[in-house]
Amino acid sequence: MTPDIAIVGIGETAPVRRSPKDLRSLVMEAVYDALDDAGIAPGEVDGVVTDSVVMPTTVPHDYVMAQLGATSRFDGSISYGGAGIACSPLQAALAINAGLANVVISYFGVDWGTRPSGPYGFHDLYPAKQTFEKPYGFNAQPIYFGLWTRRYMKEYGLTPEQLGSVAVQQRQHALLRGGGQISKPLTIEDYLTAPRIAEPLGVPDCCLITDGAGAFVMTSNERARDCRKPPVHVAGTGFASIPVSGDSVFTQDPNVLTTPGAHPATEQALAMAGIERRDIDFVELYDCFTISVLMQLEDMGFCEKGEAGAFFEEGRAAIGSDLPINTHGGFLSYSYRLGIEHVVEAVRQLRGEAGTNQVANTRFGAVGGFSLPDYGVLVLSADG
Amino acid sequence: MTETAGDEFQPFWDAAAAGELRFPFCRSCQKFHWYPMIRCPHCNTADISWRAIDPTGSLYSWTVVQRPFDAAFNDRTPYVVGLLEFPDAPGVRLITNLVDIETDAIEFGMAAAPAFDLYDTAESRLMFRPNVKPARSLE
Ligand SMILES: [Zn+2]
Repeated sequence: MTPDIAIVGIGETAPVRRSPKDLRSLVMEAVYDALDDAGIAPGEVDGVVTDSVVMPTTVPHDYVMAQLGATSRFDGSISYGGAGIACSPLQAALAINAGLANVVISYFGVDWGTRPSGPYGFHDLYPAKQTFEKPYGFNAQPIYFGLWTRRYMKEYGLTPEQLGSVAVQQRQHALLRGGGQISKPLTIEDYLTAPRIAEPLGVPDCCLITDGAGAFVMTSNERARDCRKPPVHVAGTGFASIPVSGDSVFTQDPNVLTTPGAHPATEQALAMAGIERRDIDFVELYDCFTISVLMQLEDMGFCEKGEAGAFFEEGRAAIGSDLPINTHGGFLSYSYRLGIEHVVEAVRQLRGEAGTNQVANTRFGAVGGFSLPDYGVLVLSADG
Repeated sequence: MTETAGDEFQPFWDAAAAGELRFPFCRSCQKFHWYPMIRCPHCNTADISWRAIDPTGSLYSWTVVQRPFDAAFNDRTPYVVGLLEFPDAPGVRLITNLVDIETDAIEFGMAAAPAFDLYDTAESRLMFRPNVKPARSLE
């Protein structure tokens, strides 16, 4: 498949921990914002693709389409959370290029800043997790990733300073971007002395918690010519997984220090785009924790295994350096909306409208979406 | 016991109550798997037994949890979550709490044995005690 579609509109709500608006209002605000950005009337939308778990059970497609007054001709969903968002253009391209739909929206929103169970509600999906993990207090993502980090440090010699350089780098990008949930600078000393949550991970290693939403609009490259902003083309998409259930993936995967699916998904997306890793100008990847940034960067093939810590410590992930990573500050320092904001940021960069945090001369950007055991990759290209 | 625990999990707890550590073992392909599954994920047969193993594990990794994420743990922090491997059961890793050890003394590969003496059927938690005292023979 060669995708012949573009992202023509992006929208997002302001990053805040707690919003007085409910989730549906936040999502609709982002969707209207994205349609306005595209210059496409709500009634012209005729398809929806989201993740298949979180959105369908919180802000259903039919609710959104009814609110838009739009008649659906294509309704898709793929994976869940971040991988689903990164892969939603995969399904949108299949639908649009097959003539099943003309304008497809993708959206995602969370109210985990407000909702009591927050990001931990997914435990209810898995009886084995409830039985063999929760009673021991192995019951939250910082604890899972803390366990991984400890072992990763032993296997690859990662130092606390290297791990901290991810948090420090992304804070710098967030401050450059502006408007994020945190406005305070972070030094490596701040990082090393911050309170621990699940050792060796501390507060700056963990993503923020957010109430917010994002959305984007996709259409054919032909229709994209008539939109308000320059199109950003979907050059390649990738999806991959492994046969390990979501309740077992933090402990039982034989390759537990390797991001499942990241390598094959990246290969698929690059092959579809007809480019190589060296053609990628920046990467926005799913930074739920500092350690997961390092693992994904390696497993996507941008660094050798065990070398991403040094890559960050040497400043090579900074805007203006070798390969800028999470140019808006990501989940660690901007806001946590499970990957939709990474797509929005990649589009801003490729339009050249990022302003204070613009990467120079962007041609190709990659987005990595991580939802164990699934991985999604989106490769986007600038117009012209 | 949690209300959602399936019957397929009960043999683990029955074994713990009897002072044994047992994991699902496929008689057809002779491999362990964990967590319990409906059929063997390696060969897809249903010929699964619960095989008792030498219960001394080796510490693969651990984390010291300083901040509780569940109100039930408010008075337990800091606590240590460990992930154990077992020479007798390749492919199985077990989440547990490490007890009776100073956090600074925890090491990779450390041997840890089930604290059957602390096992409480009402709580369904089998904790492990790292073997930091002078070696005692395993029964
Ligand atoms: Zn078998």
